[in-house]
Amino acid sequence: MKKLKQFIHSGTMVTLVWVLGIAAVWEGFAFYVAQTKRTPLNVLPHLWQIIGSFFSDKMITGQMTMMQLIGTSCGETLSRAAVGFLIGTVLGFLLALLMHLSGIVEKIAFPYLMIIQMIPILGMAPIILAITGDINTSRIVIAAILTFYPVSTNTLAGFKAVEKEKHELMYSYAASKFQHYIKTIIPSSIPYFFTGLKISAPMAITASILVDTLQGGNGLGCMLSQSLKGGMSRLVFWDIVLISAVIGILSFYLMGLLEKLVCPYKRKS
Amino acid sequence: MKQVKRLMRTAPNVLLPLGAAVLLFVLWQTQVLHKLLGTDTITLPLPTRIGEIISQNTSAISQHIEITLTVALGGLLLGSLLGYGIAVIATVFPKWGAGGLTIVSAFNAIPIVALAPVINNWTRDFSSEVSARSTLAKILVVTIFCTASMSVNAFRGLTELKPFSEDLMKTYAARRTTVFAKLRLPNSVPYIFTALKVSVPASVIGALVSEYFAEDTVGVGRQIRENIVKGQYPTAWAYIAVACLIGIAMYAILMIAEHFLLKRRKG
Repeated sequence: MKKLKQFIHSGTMVTLVWVLGIAAVWEGFAFYVAQTKRTPLNVLPHLWQIIGSFFSDKMITGQMTMMQLIGTSCGETLSRAAVGFLIGTVLGFLLALLMHLSGIVEKIAFPYLMIIQMIPILGMAPIILAITGDINTSRIVIAAILTFYPVSTNTLAGFKAVEKEKHELMYSYAASKFQHYIKTIIPSSIPYFFTGLKISAPMAITASILVDTLQGGNGLGCMLSQSLKGGMSRLVFWDIVLISAVIGILSFYLMGLLEKLVCPYKRKS
Repeated sequence: MKQVKRLMRTAPNVLLPLGAAVLLFVLWQTQVLHKLLGTDTITLPLPTRIGEIISQNTSAISQHIEITLTVALGGLLLGSLLGYGIAVIATVFPKWGAGGLTIVSAFNAIPIVALAPVINNWTRDFSSEVSARSTLAKILVVTIFCTASMSVNAFRGLTELKPFSEDLMKTYAARRTTVFAKLRLPNSVPYIFTALKVSVPASVIGALVSEYFAEDTVGVGRQIRENIVKGQYPTAWAYIAVACLIGIAMYAILMIAEHFLLKRRKG
């Protein structure tokens, strides 16, 4: 009983009520749409239709059910997004390190890091596709570019946020530059590093889906545009919207989880 | 003498990035960049050629810029107002509002791109004119793009007050509306700028991407895609350059506005 009371007043409960509320609003509109529109599937289907279609074993294409179809295209898209994300993370971290080590590098690169943020990389997706000529490579490249700058700027901010006393302590220990970085600067930048990752993980996935829509293949975005063009059931589209929302949010929480694993000691509330 | 010294100190800050830009320009113009990337001058035209195209098509380009700017700014305004409104509600009802904020920030992680095509369907009844309903659809996408960062940041601005300032208001027996107007609202202004720094570039990107899926084939973003489909890469590059300039210009205006509006605070 007490546990139940605790649960009712917890944050999870609040979120749950909100989710239910949004679902109720959705359903309200869906009922309205179902009565007024000729093709409700194009506008707003019922949630149960979407979720039901995901678990149904009706064949969507020649050989695959909905779950298989979305599973394979998810794998395709996510694996590219993940490769790009990893490359972007490593490069971003290295650039931040370089910028911290050398003032000249920082002076050259930092303004460009700011400018790159304002360049619509997603808008450039078609041209990157034209340069690389291969959809997989361009997915990786775009995901990497998008990951690159949040990681880099946040990590650099982390390097700089080390308290003066820690530097002084390391100096009094006569620590070498290498030890200084390994023991104080890098560990204390980790929370900032993860802030960057949390921003860029959903972005990498978005990028990957967007690039999919530009060319055929079998990623999530391809299925999305095929379904919109009428190549398969409209429910494929809705399933993909729902799934991409879920993986976007999961990627964010995954980064948070990783952060807790890597540095459980420091977590500002 | 002092001025010279200051100039000497700030000179590298300007000269080094400028040098890098010049180096990139030279590499690009002399086609070394093409060899590095393994492409040709058709896919990646020379900068002078891109400039030429922009100067030849100014009237057409400025039309598309106007359309994209309408979408970006309209969505930015709506999204920011909506986000701020959510933050205000969350401040008034902290327990339930904070949960709502979690949901809104989760929206941030959703690939809104996926929703763009369906928003087109939503606005179908709005008007029989393609350009009107398509613009509305695009503005809605940008609105969703911009809401989350504003609501999260504004909520912080409205609640993370200076220590004791709220207690001081209490000792004055200030009403909640007074606390809001005199304390919370001014306190949130710098946070609004923090949010805008995220959402201004996001609004431009949102506008470009939503144009990809829009019914109406206008706007800078759509032109990038259309020209690539037609195989006219130099024109596409001209529009990419324009898109970058829009993003940079809007950000620059934001920075200048912040500088003037927040000058007093920094002291």
